[in-house]
Amino acid sequence: MITPTIYDRYLTALLAGNRQAGTTTVQKLLDNHIQIKSLYTDLFQKSLYQVGELWESNKITVAREHMATAITEGLLNLVYPELFRGERCQKKIVVSCAANEFHQIGGKMIADLFETHGWDAFFLGANTPVDEMLAFIDEEKPDLAALSLSIYYNMPSLKSAVSAIEAHFPDLNILVGGQAFRWGGADIIHNFKNTHLLKSLDDLEKQMAWPV
Amino acid sequence: MKHDGSKLNVLRDYLASRAPVLFFVLSPDGRIIESNRFSRSVLLGRGPEEIPAGTCFHDLVLNFNSDFDFEKMVSDPEKEHLLNITTAAGTPQSFYFSFVPVQDQILAFGRMDTDEIEFMRKEVLGLNQELNNLTRKLHKQNAQLERLNREKNQFLGMAAHDLRKPIGLVMSYSEFLIDDADTLDAEQLQFVRTIHASSAFMKRLVDDFLDVSAIEAGKFDIHPSRENFVDVLEKSLELNHFQAQKKGVTLEIHCQDPLPKTLMDAPKIEQALTNLISNAIEHTPPDSRVRIALSHTPREIQFMVQDEGAGIPADQIKNLFQAFGTTRAKKTGGEKSTGLGMLITRKIIDAHQGRIWVESPAGKGAAFYFTLPVSPEMNTK
Repeated sequence: MITPTIYDRYLTALLAGNRQAGTTTVQKLLDNHIQIKSLYTDLFQKSLYQVGELWESNKITVAREHMATAITEGLLNLVYPELFRGERCQKKIVVSCAANEFHQIGGKMIADLFETHGWDAFFLGANTPVDEMLAFIDEEKPDLAALSLSIYYNMPSLKSAVSAIEAHFPDLNILVGGQAFRWGGADIIHNFKNTHLLKSLDDLEKQMAWPV
Repeated sequence: MKHDGSKLNVLRDYLASRAPVLFFVLSPDGRIIESNRFSRSVLLGRGPEEIPAGTCFHDLVLNFNSDFDFEKMVSDPEKEHLLNITTAAGTPQSFYFSFVPVQDQILAFGRMDTDEIEFMRKEVLGLNQELNNLTRKLHKQNAQLERLNREKNQFLGMAAHDLRKPIGLVMSYSEFLIDDADTLDAEQLQFVRTIHASSAFMKRLVDDFLDVSAIEAGKFDIHPSRENFVDVLEKSLELNHFQAQKKGVTLEIHCQDPLPKTLMDAPKIEQALTNLISNAIEHTPPDSRVRIALSHTPREIQFMVQDEGAGIPADQIKNLFQAFGTTRAKKTGGEKSTGLGMLITRKIIDAHQGRIWVESPAGKGAAFYFTLPVSPEMNTK
């Protein structure tokens, strides 16, 4: 369980760029068999949201925000030795970020949480060109595609990616989500027939049981 | 233009205390007269130290090619000069310097290229993301390989198990035929002997596959009891005796009496001994000897078997206890090997918390050693 003390210590380390202290905290939690979802939502996501708020309110620099993200992404690697070992459910998802979207950690966390539920989750990374995404979907034939968006002004890129996926794979369900949707864009689910908005990581379990 | 004294003072104060540029007032021969806070912070750290009066500007600069030409730089105030400065952090930092003569002094301004820094920052962040994505991919593929390996072992175990019985039948019936050799002509007898030798090899292969399959599936259990090591060795020697006799190899045994009883899974230790002794007989030339020695300390028993073969090349020793870790060392009688015996032997010794190793001085044969603790704390199932 992530207590307020553990959280505060972790956030302080993150903002100070103390990667080693962050590693120690996460490793201890893993050694105590913390649930991956709790680690992701109550520590990684919560702290990154707080770092984002500090940046948006001009309390920290963008460089510090990037450093905190980079450290968090490195800490995800501590989870991987166990993450992929569970039972498989024979379902596949391709997760990506839209073109010009350089914030990838949200999408990666979605991919990882699908893995914890036995899905084979392929993560294509930040700033993925639409053509590459389409080629990968064609090759892997996933049961679900997901697109993550952090910066609202990249919404047109996301919409064109969704449009392209739907044109090429009309039966494929598409999940969209990310911090960008705080500022709008929810109408996307009305404009595309197979597209669904993931409102939070807590909402994820419902999507796992998708009738694909 | 009319100078506004208060604005100039504010500007000077900003430059001296807060501006993120290096600023020096220099004498015409390049000595530092004055420096701002940012310069001191970069060069000396955040302490209260001052740059010693009279320090030469060129002493701050990393002048790798000895081509630092202060006069030339000062002569062109419009031009920026890329110079590297050693910082308090111990890492060089690049600044673009302008030198502006004002009356009998020179003002030196050094700025960082923020565009370049931003470009580099983005590159580093991108590389970090790529590295992390590759790490994720690597872990994912590793887990897939582990799954495939488990399935392969399961298949191997099933196949080996199902093959064992028919091979056993072929072996038994060929033995019956050999026993009735007087009913066969010489050619038929040779055929049957070949069938028997081949089926014996196949049975050994299948047994090794079953052991490896159990080892890799983590199901290689040991069932220890307190045993006399010499008794186990004698059983193994009975099995190896015929092979040695056929090749004219003498088994020379040295035993430090009395050996303490130790906890062991006797059939598995016998298997390890048989593997090592049989390996030594295979690698020793005909009509030579294989030396076997047993010794002990209060903590452990040590077994050693040494052949008089060609030895093992040093670069191949590390692969020896791996699956199919055969070496260039030739078997002197053309014997066949499954390539799994040493792996199984190592696993048996590991499971007993012992140590196994080989010493092979060039051209002097190979000596295999293993130890067993007298009082191990074993995890048994």
